[in-house]
Amino acid sequence: MNETKSLPMPILLQARNFALRYGFNIVLVAVVLFFTLTAPRFLTAANIIGLLHAAAPLMVIASGLALVVISGKLDISVGSVAFLTTSIGTLLMVRHGFDPIVTLFILLALGALLGALNGFIVVVLRVNPLITTLGTMIGLRGIGLELTKSTNIAIPEEIRRLGNAAIGPIFVDILVALAIMLIIHLIHTRTPFGRQIVAIGNDADTASRLGVRVNRVTFLTFVVSSLLATIGGIMTVIQVGAVSGNIGSGLEFTAVSVVVIGGISLFGGEGSILPGALRGVLILEIIRNGLNHLGADPYAYRFVNGAIIFIAMYADSLRSRLPVIARSFESEEQPAAKPTATG
Amino acid sequence: MAEPYLQMIGITKQFPGVRALSNVSLAAYAGEAHALIGANGAGKSTLMNILGGVIRADAGEIRIGGKPVAIHSPLDATANGIAFVHQEMAMLPTMTVAENMHIASFPTRLGWVDRNTMVERTRPILRRLGCQFSPDTQVQHLSTGDRQMVEIARALLSHPSIIIFDEPTSSLTSREKARLFDVIRGLKAEGVTIIYITHFLDEVFQICERATVLRGGEMVGSGVMQELKPEQIVHMMIGDLGVEVHQKALKANLGEPVLRVTRLNREGVLKDISFILHRGEVLGLWGLLGSGRTEVARAIIGLDPIDSGQIEIHDGKTLRVVRPSEAQRWIGMLTEDRRDEGLLLPMSVKQNMSLANLRGLASRWMLIRDDEETRQASRLVKRLNIIISNLRQPVRTLSGGNQQKVVVGRWLQVSPPIFIMDEPTRGLDVGAKAEIRNIILELAEAGNAILVISSEIDEMIALCQRYLVMNRGQIVKELPGSATRNELMAAAAGVEMADAASI
Repeated sequence: MNETKSLPMPILLQARNFALRYGFNIVLVAVVLFFTLTAPRFLTAANIIGLLHAAAPLMVIASGLALVVISGKLDISVGSVAFLTTSIGTLLMVRHGFDPIVTLFILLALGALLGALNGFIVVVLRVNPLITTLGTMIGLRGIGLELTKSTNIAIPEEIRRLGNAAIGPIFVDILVALAIMLIIHLIHTRTPFGRQIVAIGNDADTASRLGVRVNRVTFLTFVVSSLLATIGGIMTVIQVGAVSGNIGSGLEFTAVSVVVIGGISLFGGEGSILPGALRGVLILEIIRNGLNHLGADPYAYRFVNGAIIFIAMYADSLRSRLPVIARSFESEEQPAAKPTATG
Repeated sequence: MAEPYLQMIGITKQFPGVRALSNVSLAAYAGEAHALIGANGAGKSTLMNILGGVIRADAGEIRIGGKPVAIHSPLDATANGIAFVHQEMAMLPTMTVAENMHIASFPTRLGWVDRNTMVERTRPILRRLGCQFSPDTQVQHLSTGDRQMVEIARALLSHPSIIIFDEPTSSLTSREKARLFDVIRGLKAEGVTIIYITHFLDEVFQICERATVLRGGEMVGSGVMQELKPEQIVHMMIGDLGVEVHQKALKANLGEPVLRVTRLNREGVLKDISFILHRGEVLGLWGLLGSGRTEVARAIIGLDPIDSGQIEIHDGKTLRVVRPSEAQRWIGMLTEDRRDEGLLLPMSVKQNMSLANLRGLASRWMLIRDDEETRQASRLVKRLNIIISNLRQPVRTLSGGNQQKVVVGRWLQVSPPIFIMDEPTRGLDVGAKAEIRNIILELAEAGNAILVISSEIDEMIALCQRYLVMNRGQIVKELPGSATRNELMAAAAGVEMADAASI
């Protein structure tokens, strides 16, 4: 029996709860303020639009990954999926004269197929998702490097021009990225599929006992993740104007940090695409952009990035250790719930 | 009497190596609660899993409303109006009450979750159960009792005509229990057939009209509650070859002291705790919940810090002062919370039993001797009568009583001179309780010193040579082993009795 009594939460604990809940909003405001004050050209419309333009592919990739993480799993193959699909697409157009629109649909199908491969390994072969996607991350990049002979291949000029397409001052890919985030957000919050992802993230066994088709939902999250990785890759290549061996390299870890900084728990079941994942993208991108403006050592960004990831992970771990305060809705009785503490 | 609404006839189920059910029948009537009673492993869950479509019977027939039905999956069960309230609550903590209830089949409109419909469906059910929380409350903010209500609400969503409650009260407070019983009475009044699985007999007499008793996969009795007596049911559950509870033999002389605690203090928790525990003695630490019993045990073995005080332990030659963290070397601890504090659930019976004795099992090269490990484990499995299919079976799959015996077995490998047992039989069924009690008495007989904490007065009376009565963090009285129930109750409540035994 639990013989302790529940006491009112001490101020300090409340402060900590507040910090954990709103911490990364505070960080976001803080970095904006910091760079606004230190870098004179940081807070200009042109810079902000440029920043969002640069962040657009990451927004797309991170929203797909976010779904996987909310289901309590991980997909670190997204960078390699982006690389392999865009390599194939570029080769199809450049070497084989495929129509760009046709190529786009081929790539989307290919992305979904690669996601299905991850999903198959995880769901049917029952391999741990981290190991599965570690394997496909290495393997798929290998195939891409072989196909391109790890050279740079420029994409056709007319497509490269799309990279600067803009409606008024706003680049089109920003709008595309935001639209995709909104769609994924709605899928997450408003569809049975999204809610079942959350359920699996809470506890796959429980979800399964309640009648959620855990395997099917898990499989689909991997498909969605790879599909969005492909779209993100296409956006990147259009911006850069060519595929090269380092497209999407390291992207998986950037995307994971974005997700974590966005407050999506790696323990699963918690977090949001909007505002969560978007906030994560913005924080990372603002820091990168701001440090550029300050003329900081290019390696400084990696260090700051690492520190932020660590802080985000630590906050996640703290949050999951916090006792959830149970309320009793009966008239007099003290709550009897055990705190759901995870180590 | 009308025809029974639910009939299970001649149900037989064979698992590899075990006959789980043989020719079991059950007849339950609409508007009544039917108790399904049996010790752990008697086949209650198997029978209900067959009804719930989780597993298939090898033979037998199920009739609902007089018509034979085929139940091959949980979906079939739902379609036949059967709902299951599981013992282990299936809750998704970060999701809302309404979402938890609808997770398997959300109402949708054009592919989107139809929140309004979902909440509208949830509200009347919560009202019917007398719940005060809203459908939008996150489940992680609910107390255990309220979560139980959500579990029931989920079952009610499909408008079942048969509801199976599997040990629904095991994690509820008495108040929450009363509320649950009100709900069950309400359901009965609406004509629902209730199957109530439990091993708490008092509940059966409170809420059920009929009972079926299972033992070892066979039906050993069934009848109307008014005609059954508790002793009769216990007898059916345990059987003739069941466990006989040994009687403690009060000893005239106490053995030599093996643990001496002197003026243990912890601000606001413990005050001047002093006592001596003797060889061969079962010493009961008795008191109401919150009197500091558990805290004494935790302080002695260093789980909680102490402000002052001294602990001495007999190290084979003489009593010597030890630090609490050291005390663990001589003390075997058994708690109610065997899952969290005692066992590594995914690991095997054998490995769990070796944990305290890895050094003793190691060869010269510091490798664990597998043959010796097996020998030790099988000796203890036999000695403690642990029911397992083999030593490599994961502990997770054992019943509560057998799990607790594995913990005891682990300590017996190193045979510490002192045991501290905090609610060692809580949550176990009658038979397992008796077995654990017998083991405790045997340990004392063999010369171990045992400090027992239990909330069950009958358990204390069955075991203890001597009692220390605690109240608000202090030892307020010592009573001899011959003390009566009334004396113990009075002392714990702080009432002086005229005829209280002198110390």
